[in-house]
Amino acid sequence: MTATVATATLRPRTTTATDSARLRWGRRFQHGGWFVAPFFVLYGLFVVVPVVRGLYLSFTDANISGDHTSFIGLANYREALQDDLVWSSLWHSVKFTLWVVPMIVVVALLMALLAHHTVHFKWLWRLCFFAPFLLPSAVVGNLWWWLFQPTNGMVNHVLGLQTPWLAQKSTAMLAVVIATLWWTVGFSFLLYLAALQNIPQHLYEAAELDGAGPFRRLLHITVPNLRNITGLVLALQILASLQVFDQAVVMYQFGPGPEESTRTFVQYTLEQGFTSYRVGYASAISFILFVVIAAVALGRMWLLRRREEDAR
Amino acid sequence: MGLPDLNRRRLLAAAGGLAVAGSFGFAALGTGADALAAGARTRVTYWNLFSGGDGGNMVAMVDAFQKATPDIAVKASTLTWGGPYYTKLAMAAAGSRAPDLAVMHQGRVPGFAPGRLLDPWDMDLLTKYGVKEADFNPVLWQRGIVDGKLYALPLDIHVQLNFYRTDICKKAGLLDADGKLPSATSTDDWFRILKSARKQLKSGVQTLGLHANDQNFSWWFFVAFYQQLAGTYFDDARTDVTFDTQKATRVLEFLRRHVTDGYAIVGEADAEAFLAGSPFTWEGDWSVPYYSGAKVGYGAQPLPPVFGTPATHAESHSFVLPHQSDRGGAANEGAHRLAAYLVTHATAWAGGGHVPAYLPTFKDPAYLQLTPQDEYSKPAMEHPATEPHIWFAGSTGILAQRLGPIIAASNLGSTKPDTAARRMKSALEQLLAMKNPMDGRTAAQELTGAGT
Amino acid sequence: MTTPTHLHRKSRSTWTPAQIALTTVAAALSLIWLSPLVWALSTSLKTPTESVASPHWIPDHFTLESWKGVLDAGNIPNWFVNSVVVSVCVTVIVLLVASLAAYGFARTEFRGKGTLMALTMAGLMFSPAILGVPLFTTVQSLGMVDTYWGMILPQCAPAAMVYILYKFFQSLPKELEEAAFIDGAGRWRIFFTIVLPLSKPSLSAVGIFTFIASWNNFIWPYMVTNNPDLMTMPNGIATVQNAFGIVWPQLMAGGLIAGLPLIVVFVFFQSQIVRGVAHTGLAGQ
Repeated sequence: MTATVATATLRPRTTTATDSARLRWGRRFQHGGWFVAPFFVLYGLFVVVPVVRGLYLSFTDANISGDHTSFIGLANYREALQDDLVWSSLWHSVKFTLWVVPMIVVVALLMALLAHHTVHFKWLWRLCFFAPFLLPSAVVGNLWWWLFQPTNGMVNHVLGLQTPWLAQKSTAMLAVVIATLWWTVGFSFLLYLAALQNIPQHLYEAAELDGAGPFRRLLHITVPNLRNITGLVLALQILASLQVFDQAVVMYQFGPGPEESTRTFVQYTLEQGFTSYRVGYASAISFILFVVIAAVALGRMWLLRRREEDAR
Repeated sequence: MGLPDLNRRRLLAAAGGLAVAGSFGFAALGTGADALAAGARTRVTYWNLFSGGDGGNMVAMVDAFQKATPDIAVKASTLTWGGPYYTKLAMAAAGSRAPDLAVMHQGRVPGFAPGRLLDPWDMDLLTKYGVKEADFNPVLWQRGIVDGKLYALPLDIHVQLNFYRTDICKKAGLLDADGKLPSATSTDDWFRILKSARKQLKSGVQTLGLHANDQNFSWWFFVAFYQQLAGTYFDDARTDVTFDTQKATRVLEFLRRHVTDGYAIVGEADAEAFLAGSPFTWEGDWSVPYYSGAKVGYGAQPLPPVFGTPATHAESHSFVLPHQSDRGGAANEGAHRLAAYLVTHATAWAGGGHVPAYLPTFKDPAYLQLTPQDEYSKPAMEHPATEPHIWFAGSTGILAQRLGPIIAASNLGSTKPDTAARRMKSALEQLLAMKNPMDGRTAAQELTGAGT
Repeated sequence: MTTPTHLHRKSRSTWTPAQIALTTVAAALSLIWLSPLVWALSTSLKTPTESVASPHWIPDHFTLESWKGVLDAGNIPNWFVNSVVVSVCVTVIVLLVASLAAYGFARTEFRGKGTLMALTMAGLMFSPAILGVPLFTTVQSLGMVDTYWGMILPQCAPAAMVYILYKFFQSLPKELEEAAFIDGAGRWRIFFTIVLPLSKPSLSAVGIFTFIASWNNFIWPYMVTNNPDLMTMPNGIATVQNAFGIVWPQLMAGGLIAGLPLIVVFVFFQSQIVRGVAHTGLAGQ
C-alpha cells in the first residue's frame, strides 16, 4: 500500500514549487491542536480527572454517598500497609500472573507453529484456537464454573476424576488459570502467527541448503526471530493478568473463593469501594496496584531502550 | 424516575442512523425495553434478590398485584443475591438512580445509612393501604425502626433448616409415629442419626449437605450453634468483644467432625445430591419450593438443638425505600401500595418457604395446611439466632465476609478449630474498632451518639 | 516445518508423514479447545434434570426449552440490543477521536504537543480495573451513572489506539498530502479525503479491536449500570438471574447467545479480523 502511494506522489514533483509549498504547509499546520482536542476532552474527563480525584480521595475517608468527607492525611496508606487482605489479594493477582503468562506464551507459540506449518485446514485451526477469545468474560466464567462441577462437570467426566476444583484452596486458582488460558491464548496465538509469517522465507531456504533439519531451523531461525514478539506478548499479558478480575469473580459468584484463595487485587479494591462503601480507602489501595503496573511498564521501556542501544 | 436519561430512540437519532443496527436485524430497536412502553400508567421499579426457590412465588405475587391494580406498572428486577445486590443498590442510591422499592435483609439496614441511602416509610400511606403495626411480629417491626422512623417494613423471617428425606430415614428406622424426624438433642444423638442413615446409602453418596466450603452457610450454621451455647459477640455498649473462644471451638469442632467422619463431601452440589438420594441437607427455607417441585418425600426442621437450647439461624427480608432525591408523587405512592400488598398477602409468600412477618397469616387455613412449613415455622419464629445488631452485620455483610472464610477453613481442616476461634475473636476486635464509613463513627460511638 | 519445500512438491501429495503428524496434533488441540463449547451446547439442549444427572455428551432428549426460556425471559434480547448500541457507539467515537488525535500528533504542530503526547503515553498504564473507584465517583458526579453515556464515554479515550494510529500515520509518506495541499486542499479536507482512505487497514484493525473489547467489556458496565434494563450482555448475564436459581441449561443457552454473534462474524470475516488483531498488537511493538 505505502509503495503505491510513494510512486503516485513522486510524479508531480517539481522542486521549487514543492519546497515553498512544504514551507507553507508546515506553517499552515501550526495550531493543529484542534485535531487532538476531542480526544483530550474525553481523556481529561475520564482518565486525568479520575487519577487526580483518586489521589485526592486517597487522603480522605470519603464514602460512596459523597458526604461526611474529611481529610485524614496518610491514614489510608498506613492502614493499607497493615491490611493483610491487601497483600494477600495482591499476591493472588501476582501468583495468577506467574502461572498464566508462561502457559499462554508456550501454548500460543505451539498453536502458531502448528497453524503456520500445516498445509491443510489452516482456517479451521485459527477458528478453533481463537474463537474462545471472542466470548465475553462473564460467559467464560459461567462456562468454567459449570465445567468444573465436581460430579456432573465436563472436566472431571473427561479426566475420570472427582476433584472439587472450585471448592478447595489447592485447585481454586488453578481453575481460574486454566479458564483464562483457554479464553485468552487465541490473542497471543494470532500475534505469533503474524510474526511467523513475517520471517523471510529465504532464511529457511538457505538453512535447508546448509543441511539444517526442521528442529535446528526452528531453534536457530524461528525462535530468535520471535524475540521481539515474545517481549510484546509477555508485556501485554503481564499487564492484563495483574488486573485480573472478571473471570475470577464470575467463577466464584463474586465471592473470594475457597478460604479466600481467589480474591484478586482489583476485586479487593472494588469490594472496599462498593461493598464496604469506603471510597477513600479503595482509592488509596488502587494506587498500590498502579505502582506495580507502572513498574512493569517502565521496566519494559527500559529493557527496550537497552536492547536498542545494544543493537546500535 | 428510573428511566435512563438518554433513551434508546434519542441515542440512535443522535448517533445518526447507525447502519449496524439495521444489519443486525434489530428493526425494533426502540421497543427493546418493555418498561418504556408502559406509557401513561404509573411505573414502579422494584428490585429484589429472590433468585432461589422463592423467586417464582414473588413473580406470581407481583403478577397478582398487577391484575388487581392495573393502573400501576411494576418493573421488577431480580439481581444476583448477596454482595453484588447490595453493591448495586448502594451505588444506585448514591448515584440518585435508585429503584422506587427494594428488598433488603433487615440485618443490613443499620449499615445502609438510613436517612441517606434509605428513605423512611410514609406511615400515612402505609395505613391507607392497610398496613398496621399491630399485625406484625413486634420484634421484627421494632428492628426496622431507626431514630423513631420505620425504614424496613418486614416481610418474613427465614431460617436455616435440616431437610431430611423421609424414604431413607424411614428405612433407617429414624422416624416417629407421625412420620417425622425427632430432633436430635445432643451431638452424640445427631451423629447416631447420621450413622444409621449412612448405612442405607451406596458408597460415594454423601449423608449431609453441609456447604462446608461456603463462607455464608458456614457463618449461618455457626451463628445457630453458637447461640445454642448462649454465646455472645459484644457487650451492650459495643466497646468490648465478649466472644467466647471456648464455646466457638466446640461449635467449630462439631461442624468439622461432619467432614472428618465423611458425612459431608466437600464441593458436592448439596441441593442436587439431596434430590438424587442423599438423606440430609442443611439449607435455607427458600429451598422448600425447589424440593417440593421435585416430588421427593421430605421433611424440614430447625437445625437440631445439639447443644441443648433450640436456636436456628434467622434473617428477615424487609422492604425499603432506597434514597431518591425527589422521592414523592405517584411512583412513591405506588411503591407503598405494592409493598403493602406484598406483606399482607403473605400466604402466597409463605409458599416460597419463608415464615411470614404478617401475623394474620397464621390464622389463614390455607397457610396452616402448607407442608413442611407446619413443621418448622413455629419453632423458627420462637428461637431465632440472629447476627448482632450492628452496622457491619447482616446477610453477606462485612461480618459474614470476615468470619465466614475462617469457619470454612476450619471445616475443611486447613485451620484447627481453636486457632480459628482465636482468629474470629481478633477479627471481631478489628471490626468493633472500625469506623462505619457512612458516618465516620465506631459502633460504640453510634450507640452513644458521640463522635460526629 | 516442511513449509519451505512444499512449493516445489505441488505435484506430489502434500500428506507427507510430517504433515500427517502435525495435522493430527493440531486436530487434537483444536478438539480440546472446542470441547467446552460443545459441552455448553449439549447442556443447553438438555432438560434441567438431565443436565445434573450423570454427565454425558449427547442429550437423551433434545429440547429447545432452555433457549426459548432464555429468549422469553425478556432480558437477554434487551441486553443484546444494549450491547450493540454501546459497542457501535464506542467504536465510532473511538475511530473518529483517536484518528484525529493521532493525525494531530503525527502531522501538526502546536504548543504543548510534547506534554500532551507524554500525557497520552502515561494513560497506557491506567484502566478501569485500576481506576475503577475514582472513575465511578467522577461519572457519578457528572450524573451519568445508569445512562448510556456513562457506559460509552469512559471507553472512548483509549491511549493505546491513538498510539497505534500515530505510528501508522508517521509511516505514511508526506508527499501525497503535500501534493493535495498545493492543489489548495485544507488540512481537514486532506485528513478526511486523503489520509483516512489510505488508512483503511489500520482503521479497520483499530475498529475491530475496539468493538471486540467493548462488546466483551465487563468491569466498566458492571460498575456503572445498576438498572437491569440498561445492562449489556456480559454484565446482565453475570449479575441478573432468572427467578429460578441456577438452571445450567439456561445459563449455557444464555452464554451461547451472548458469545455466538462475534464467533459467527469471525467465521465470515476471519482474515480481516486476524489481520486486524495482529496489526493492532504488532503496532504496539
